[in-house]
Amino acid sequence: MTGDSRTGFLVIGVGNSDRGDDGIGPAVISRLRGRLPAGVSAIECRGDMLELIDEWKGLTGVVVIDAMAPRSRAGRIERLDLSSASLPAEFARHSTHTFGLAQTVEIARSLNRLPRHLIAYLIKSERFDIGAPLSPAVAAVVDTVADRVLAELFRLLATGGAEGFPGIGGAAE
Amino acid sequence: MPTKTVKVDYIARVEGESSLKLKIRDGLVEDVRLSIFEPPRFFEALLRGRKFSEVLDIVARICGICPIAYQMSAVAAIENLLGIEVDGPIHALRRLLYCGEWIESHSLHIAMLHAPDFLGYPDAMAMARDHGDAVQRALALKKTGNALLRLLGGREIHPVNVRVGGFYRVPSRAEFEPIVEPLKQACDLAIQTLRWVATFPFPDCTRDYEFVALRHPDEYPMNRGRIVSSAGLDIAPAEYETEFLERQVPYSTALHSVLKQRGAYLVGPMARYALNRGRLPPDICALADEVGLEPVCRNPFRSILVRAVEVIFACGEALRLIENYKRPARPFEPAEPRAGVGYGCTEAPRGILYHRYRLDAEGTIEAASLVPPTSQNQGIIEEDVRQVAAASLDLPEDALQAACEQSIRNHDPCISCAAHFLTLHVDRT
Repeated sequence: MTGDSRTGFLVIGVGNSDRGDDGIGPAVISRLRGRLPAGVSAIECRGDMLELIDEWKGLTGVVVIDAMAPRSRAGRIERLDLSSASLPAEFARHSTHTFGLAQTVEIARSLNRLPRHLIAYLIKSERFDIGAPLSPAVAAVVDTVADRVLAELFRLLATGGAEGFPGIGGAAE
Repeated sequence: MPTKTVKVDYIARVEGESSLKLKIRDGLVEDVRLSIFEPPRFFEALLRGRKFSEVLDIVARICGICPIAYQMSAVAAIENLLGIEVDGPIHALRRLLYCGEWIESHSLHIAMLHAPDFLGYPDAMAMARDHGDAVQRALALKKTGNALLRLLGGREIHPVNVRVGGFYRVPSRAEFEPIVEPLKQACDLAIQTLRWVATFPFPDCTRDYEFVALRHPDEYPMNRGRIVSSAGLDIAPAEYETEFLERQVPYSTALHSVLKQRGAYLVGPMARYALNRGRLPPDICALADEVGLEPVCRNPFRSILVRAVEVIFACGEALRLIENYKRPARPFEPAEPRAGVGYGCTEAPRGILYHRYRLDAEGTIEAASLVPPTSQNQGIIEEDVRQVAAASLDLPEDALQAACEQSIRNHDPCISCAAHFLTLHVDRT
């Protein structure tokens, strides 16, 4: 876990930059450096997702960016509000982590340790080779994901988190 | 003849990808095959041609759960070859680093992977709804273990600070201060965890294992010692390959290890505890006695108790090492390459991990051999499943499958580690 000290809002980029499209999370965090509004922190999580339960405890809003299989339609962006709904089964498989995002969120939910608002941006991926860079299709959406995350954060900050994140439910592009 | 085949295509709650095939004919278990289909990753071949100074960073990549074990066995082997004796604060720091890995690895397995079997839950997510306190304890323990890895290893995943002869950087005493209080709390949490798992219903099962573990005259084994067994084996790590053999089986990408004279054997917490209980502090033996853990435990389902005892030990040992720590004058001893073969064996959370390296005079790796604990335990795991299945044949299919899966998880197999070993033969005509 690397990044800034915690505040009320947190962006988490999950993944390993040396494993192809698994690096989308850290790549988005890199794009966000220097652009985040005051009061928002950003961290990378390279493997142990269970520690996120402690990282986001008590926060108002959290956005998580992670790669996802299946390996089709690479670059497609799925936005899911996990604050009150579980990650659908189709998104919950094939994590490269011992405990993936779905399991971590559900454990946190059971323990009543979810942040008030939790949004996941999941980017469909096609390659996870050791030492590989992002595939062209996934690299092409890094800026788009960063912009959408920023827009969410600005809107949330404007309402102090009272209204939650906009567009509750899944949305893809 | 009536034949039944039970197939578990994907064994959940183990690290890595594996399957189990159980063949039952005329009411008898005819065949058990634990198939590891995690792709082989050729680390032994990958190490050839690299400098000895690169080995520790490469082997740390083998496993995200037990990278310290790989670094410790590798550094022990290379230092054995180069004639470097590590003692004093450097040895203490490495032992402290290992404490961190034992705490995080065991705590994850106890509460998140193994406990659901005993309590009737499909996974940790379901269990957390009813046993939130236990899961929170595990998360806190794991976090404390990870903090030790970060402090001494540079980071908890694929740590980078260990080097031949010592460390790249050693911490000051002051740097340990923030972790002392969490470790004290971890001791209490670990004791609570032991008392919790002691309430689990344990199936009756007695296995006549040959236990194999390290033994050292002065300490519960982690980084050093001789390889001993409950059948009287007592050898230096350099003699490992005279007594043990790795062999391929057609249905698995992992090699199976056997004792050449006696076949399958068990490594891991049960073996360590059985062969080294006398090296545990009296207060920890008293806790083991309190929960009814026998000095030699032969019921694999009760391995969870042994892991819990080892977590308590690792937390207390970490505090002791920190309390006695004096920063060394220099973080490492210089290492000059020389040609030869070096051997190292240390106690990974799951059992002994053996490494052998052959270097040329410039310090380039000519050959490497790595034998992880899961490869060594595969034979025992299959025997366990055979016995458990034979006693469970009257159960409904899903209950039989659950019993078999639980008997595999008793040994906390790390499938990713075990699948590194495949010899590639090229036949050119």
